[in-house]
Amino acid sequence: MAWLYLRWVGIVTFGLLIAVLGLRRYETQVRPITPEDLVRHHQTDTVRVLGMVQAGSLTTDALAGRAAFRLVGEKDAVLVHYTGAPTEAIRELKTLVVVGRWSPLGGAVEAKEIALLPNYGFITAAYLLGLVPIGLFLFTMERRVRLLYNDIRQAKLYEPEEIGLD
Amino acid sequence: MIRRLRRYEGWCGGAAAACLLVGLYLGLVTSPPDATQGEVVRIMYLHVPFAKTSLLAYTVLAACSLWYLWRRDPLVDNAAHASAGVGAIFTMAALVTGSIWAKPTWNTWWTWDPRLVSFTVLLLILIGYLMLRALVDDIERQARYAAILAIVGFVDLPIVYFSVEWWRTLHQPLSVSQRGLSISAEMLFPLAVMAVGCSLLFFYMVMVRTQLLYLEHLLEAKQGRLLSQVPR
Repeated sequence: MAWLYLRWVGIVTFGLLIAVLGLRRYETQVRPITPEDLVRHHQTDTVRVLGMVQAGSLTTDALAGRAAFRLVGEKDAVLVHYTGAPTEAIRELKTLVVVGRWSPLGGAVEAKEIALLPNYGFITAAYLLGLVPIGLFLFTMERRVRLLYNDIRQAKLYEPEEIGLD
Repeated sequence: MIRRLRRYEGWCGGAAAACLLVGLYLGLVTSPPDATQGEVVRIMYLHVPFAKTSLLAYTVLAACSLWYLWRRDPLVDNAAHASAGVGAIFTMAALVTGSIWAKPTWNTWWTWDPRLVSFTVLLLILIGYLMLRALVDDIERQARYAAILAIVGFVDLPIVYFSVEWWRTLHQPLSVSQRGLSISAEMLFPLAVMAVGCSLLFFYMVMVRTQLLYLEHLLEAKQGRLLSQVPR
C-alpha cells in the first residue's frame, strides 16, 4: 500500500510542476493588462493590452500594413498604432489583445502584433474536469485491487476446511 | 493470466505516465497558439485523445464480446466489462472537454450536431451496457446479454467517425485523412504524444479493472464457499 501512495504522490507532484510551468507561461507571455493599468503604471517594456476597438476610431492603410484605433477598457482608452502583417482580427467593436510598447510621450501603444483573447479559464476548466475524475477513478481502482488482494490473502486462512470436504 | 497482467501493467502504466507528462508539457507550455482560435486550442490536446480513446475502448469492448461469445472465457468477459467502465469515463471526459471548447469557439455549450449526438449515443450505449450488467443476477446470462448489446451497439462507431464527412456539421472535419494533413507539425506532435499516452492509460486502466472484477468474483466465490461450509 505504501508504494501505491508514494507513486501517486509522485504523479501529483509532476502534474503540479507542469501546472506551475503552464501558469508561469501564462503570466509572462499570455496574461494581458487593461488600458486602465497601462495609463496608471506607464510600463515601458513590451505590454499586452486587452480591450475593445472603439466604434468609428479605426483607420487602416492596407497597402502599408498599418492601422490606428482607440482601444477601450472599462473607463480609459488608449491610442494604438499597429504596424505589421494584415490581420482580420482588427475590426470595430472587436475585443482583442494588442502586443507592443507603450510610448508615454506620444500617448500611444506602438503595436507589432494582435493576439486573440487568451480564454485561460476555459483551458483550466477543461484540463481539471478532464484529468481529475480520471485520476480519482484510477486511484480508487488501484487502492481497491490492493485491498482485495489483502482480503483474499486473509480468506486463505480457512482453506484447510475446504480440503477436508474433498 | 492475471499474473501476466500484473507483470505488464507496470510497464504500461509507466509508459502512459511518461507520455502524458511529456504531452501535457508540450501542449500547455511549448506548442504555439492557433491563428484563429488563439490559446483555447490547447483544449484539443486533451479532447481529441479522449475522443479517440473512447472509440478504441468501444472497439476493445466489441472485440472482447465477440471473443467471449465464441470461447466463453470469463476473464475475457471481465476485460469487456472493464473496457466498458473505463470507456464510459473517457467518453464522458471527451464530451465535457468538447463542450468547454465549444463555448469560446462556437459560442454555445451544446448543439444538435451529428458528431455530438452520435457521440452522446455512444455514451448512452455504454451506460446501458453497465446498467444491464448491474441488473441481471445470473453471471453467465449477464455476460451473454451484455456481449450481444455491445456487438449491436458497435454500429454507432462508424457513424461517430464518419459523421463529419457524411453530414453538414459544425464540428471540424478529420485532421488526418486521405486528403492529407490539415494540422501543423508543431501541433500534431504533442497531439500524437497525448493520443499514445491516453491509449496506454486506457490499457493500463483496463488491466487494473479486469483484475478488480476478477478478484471481486474470486472473493465472492471464496466467501460463498466458506458460508456453504458453515454447519446449519
